[in-house]
Amino acid sequence: MNYNLNQLNEEQEKQSTYQALKRLLKFISAERKNLILALIAILVNSGLLLLGPLLVGHTIDTYIRTKQFHGVLVFGGILLGMYLIAMVTGYIQTKLMGGVGQRMLYTLRNAIFNKLQELPVSFFNQNKAGDLISRVNSDTDKLNQFFSQSLMQFIGSIVTMIGAGIFLLSINIELGAAALSPAVAIVVFTIALSPWIKGKNAKNLKSVGGLSAEVQESLNNFKVIIAFNRRDYFRKRFDEANKENYRTAIGAGLANNIFVPVYGLLSSIAQLIVLLFGIHLISIGQFSLGFLVSYLSYCTNFYNPLRQLAALWTSFQVAMASWDRISKILLLETNLQVIKNDETITSDALIEFKDVHFSYDDSKEILHHINLKFEKGKTYALIGPTGGGKTTTASLISRLYDATKGTVLLNRKDIRSFSAEERTQKIGFILQEPFLFTGTVKDNILYGNNQYKDVSDDELTKIIEKANLNALLAIFDEGISTKITSGADSISLGQKQLIAFMRAVLRNPELLILDEATANIDTITEQLLSSILNKLSKETTLVIIAHRLNTIENADEIYFVNEGEVQQAGTLNDALNMLSKGKRVS
Amino acid sequence: MAKPKEAKKPSVFSLLASYKGLIFLLILFALLSNGINLLLPKIIAHGIDSYTNKTFNLDSVLLQFAIAIVLVFIFTYLQSIVQTYASERVARDLRSKLSDQISRQSHAYIIEANPSKLLTNLTSDADSIKMFVSQAIVSLASSIFLIVGASILLLMINWKLALCVIAIVPIIGIAFYLVLKKVRVLFIKSREVIDWLNKVISESILGSALIRVINSQQLEYQKFLDANSKARDLGLSILRLFAGLIPIIVFVSNLSGLTILVLGGHFVITDTMTLGEFAAFNSYLALIIFPILVIGFMSNVIAQATASYQRIESVLNAPEVKHQGTLTDALTGDVEARNIELNFGQKPILKKVSFAAKAGSKTAIIGPTVAGKTQLLYILTGLIEPQAGKVLFDEQEIKSYKQENFHQQVGFVFQDSIIFNMSIRENIAFSNTVTDESLAKAIQTAELKDFIEALPAKLDTIVSERGNSLSGGQKQRIMLARALAVNPKILLLDDFTARVDSNTEKRILENIQLHYPGITLISVTQKIAAVENYDQVILLMQGEVIATGTHRELIQHSPEYVQIYNSQQSTSNYELQS
Repeated sequence: MNYNLNQLNEEQEKQSTYQALKRLLKFISAERKNLILALIAILVNSGLLLLGPLLVGHTIDTYIRTKQFHGVLVFGGILLGMYLIAMVTGYIQTKLMGGVGQRMLYTLRNAIFNKLQELPVSFFNQNKAGDLISRVNSDTDKLNQFFSQSLMQFIGSIVTMIGAGIFLLSINIELGAAALSPAVAIVVFTIALSPWIKGKNAKNLKSVGGLSAEVQESLNNFKVIIAFNRRDYFRKRFDEANKENYRTAIGAGLANNIFVPVYGLLSSIAQLIVLLFGIHLISIGQFSLGFLVSYLSYCTNFYNPLRQLAALWTSFQVAMASWDRISKILLLETNLQVIKNDETITSDALIEFKDVHFSYDDSKEILHHINLKFEKGKTYALIGPTGGGKTTTASLISRLYDATKGTVLLNRKDIRSFSAEERTQKIGFILQEPFLFTGTVKDNILYGNNQYKDVSDDELTKIIEKANLNALLAIFDEGISTKITSGADSISLGQKQLIAFMRAVLRNPELLILDEATANIDTITEQLLSSILNKLSKETTLVIIAHRLNTIENADEIYFVNEGEVQQAGTLNDALNMLSKGKRVS
Repeated sequence: MAKPKEAKKPSVFSLLASYKGLIFLLILFALLSNGINLLLPKIIAHGIDSYTNKTFNLDSVLLQFAIAIVLVFIFTYLQSIVQTYASERVARDLRSKLSDQISRQSHAYIIEANPSKLLTNLTSDADSIKMFVSQAIVSLASSIFLIVGASILLLMINWKLALCVIAIVPIIGIAFYLVLKKVRVLFIKSREVIDWLNKVISESILGSALIRVINSQQLEYQKFLDANSKARDLGLSILRLFAGLIPIIVFVSNLSGLTILVLGGHFVITDTMTLGEFAAFNSYLALIIFPILVIGFMSNVIAQATASYQRIESVLNAPEVKHQGTLTDALTGDVEARNIELNFGQKPILKKVSFAAKAGSKTAIIGPTVAGKTQLLYILTGLIEPQAGKVLFDEQEIKSYKQENFHQQVGFVFQDSIIFNMSIRENIAFSNTVTDESLAKAIQTAELKDFIEALPAKLDTIVSERGNSLSGGQKQRIMLARALAVNPKILLLDDFTARVDSNTEKRILENIQLHYPGITLISVTQKIAAVENYDQVILLMQGEVIATGTHRELIQHSPEYVQIYNSQQSTSNYELQS
């Protein structure tokens, strides 16, 4: 399955834009109440702001020109009241709309992160960490900027414009039509240019993702860059990404800024039209001077928000381009669904592979015709040259991937019919590359362990003792409270493997896979580990992948995995013979 | 990170000093377009007045107006172009400066500064400064200009009325000052929350396989939720402040409009002001209010940019690692460690470690987990500096060598697999001094030839980030080839054999002997069998050298060594048969 976000096929692309919009509306619909309230506030606010010039015009015509100061004062008082109300509605409008924006950002980020958790390992193999971070963080923030700042102005501007437009037309329809004619040109211009502008912004956002991916990769592997004297190389790679970003940003910036001068020009033309046409109307006695003054200010009321819309329209295009990138993640579905299949197949094994084939992505097949059985309580070893398919076989047992053909059975049922919770409870897998989270040793050995979720330090010490793991803790300076920073070198690879080992053992799985899980641990500690494994429940099945043969001496059965095929080896000696003859394929 | 000098906080404006030309053009165009814009109401007022006085001349009004708006159009367009270039250039240069600074830092600094934070510095922080340049400068300059210009015009029309209107400026200024002081603190906090979010996301991506094996997605989601909720709450707090500020400003400006109506009305009634002037007054007020609002919005941008700039500055001001070494001599391969001591905080990692390896000799370092083996290798390559003691290459201190020359002669194979998302060729020929010949030799030595031949695009096959598409052994061998490709005089292996089967391992070691004669080999390993014929074996335990000698010597004199040896005995037997 293709999970590469930068290379989705056409169908996936097409689907995403349409569905994305529907989804965006779904996010907004949760805020319906707030939006309605905010809309009311915006309407009142814009209405009041529009009424202002009307009252001013009226005051000028009726009182100032006729020199009645009392009337001026009365209308002054009315205006003051209106402004006070506008202040309150202004507050409500900003607070509500901004709140909607913040909560949307929150929900959206959660949704993306949740989706990331749902997606299978293949997704992470095909995408760069930095690009994903950029999508979760920057792209959602672009959307937030639009929602919390621009959307409010957007709606406010449109409402003010419509209101001013109605006033313009209702006061004098001819003059109104003349005043609004440049706006039509603006609309045409905007619609024509929008796709181009969105495209420019999409390119820019893609290069932002690329830049972030570059930084992420280089900084996490900085020691290699130092040891191989490739600081210049880091600079060069970054420089390329930076230049590319600069190039696309200039493109996007020039596109984005094109609206402002054009909108300005057209709104000035509108003013000129009003002035000339208005004076003409006055001269033929169809219009008054007082009305012309307020008419000009309505014109400003109509075109000023339009000018703002120029800037807002750009941020809308940026937001849409960001939304495209986000929705690409949201629309991906995991191909590892839990299927409904209660059919049981007679099998005496805990795990059975029935004619299993596997390839990562439509490319070369990695595993062919695999048939094997792991029975309850027995210990199995998978040996073979590197690149032969051992880790892939183990990944199929823990369902990091699904077989392309054939079935993997767990307890006589298709492994795909188990819920993730049930499956992971039964199957433990110590991965080849141990991963630790920032926190303490305790956090890490109890990571994801529901059974011992809230135990105190003392209780944990007892649990560890009972599981015979206490000797392993001795090599951590502060025992279970030793601090760990993910990705840092403060603890060694061997120590990381010990934590991964403890983490897996404390979960009491029915089947435990150790994928070169002790490769960087010294042989004396390793003996300790095998004695711990021996003391595990008699029911526990062990699958051990190792190069070091002492780790597999006690195996009940040995499988020789090479070139994507699995053969049973009778004894350790047979296995060694196979190994020495085995041509390494990779 | 500790910041000793709290007093000196760099202003984001100081950044602009190097872009004087662009900024000058930017402000010039902005002022020109705004200045002409100021004339428009004047032309209109003049039109209305001349009409009332029956001296209206259509052609002259039309001409004046047309010239004005065309000029405005041209200048705004030019301004938008300069604005784009200026802001992008500032951001690009800032990112370059940052990456340049980062690229010269030590390994320890990067870990301490935390890659997630540096990522935010290079992306979000740079972006908010870009926003500052593209929006704030023009807006500020033109707003101030408009306010001052309109004020002068107002004063000229009627100074009494004008003073009433201008009085709103300081009121608004004070409101801004009070709110922004609070907002700035929140902005800095919200940047920190973004770092936190980045960290959770990046750990959940790097640990994705583990999370799926353990089914701990819910737990990760919870962690994310915590950070995200904090981000939302901060966002809402900032919002509350602005939600209060903006209506107040609008109200105050509306009040001044009211003043014009009442007081201006009074003046018109008493005939101290014409109706045309009154109309112009109204238009100018609109001109003043808008820039005041703009300054309000921009203060938000400035506050964000200032917070970001301070974070960036703290990286730019980090003390540089000094590389004073000047020696460019070719190494013969003698390595010596003299009384090396290393502590992490209070905890001793290495205690007075000394050993010497002659050029062309083979040395094994054996010891249990946390003996300090990897740290010792890091010290030998200069990745970390010991608190005491010396590392000598050809009897010269490691510090006295020029870094570039030194690293070209020392190959290091790390314990953890580090593969870049590039072609296999680039992954191996990672240094720019690698020739095709030495590349081929390295590939052959690392037994990678068959593997690469079988790939669709051979050497140009792109491997995915973190090398997920490769097996553990393949990654390890690519890393070996990377170290050998520089034709090193000294090769350091950190538990290289852990993930390679013993047949391949044996062949690789033979290949090294054959293709790289005279290389000094220092290998951290767990397997005694492979190092029995080495020139010396160093037994390292808990940071101390317990014993040094050949395998034969150690087996006779060191009980600890014997214990390790025995733990591997059964295996060795099998390996002998194979």
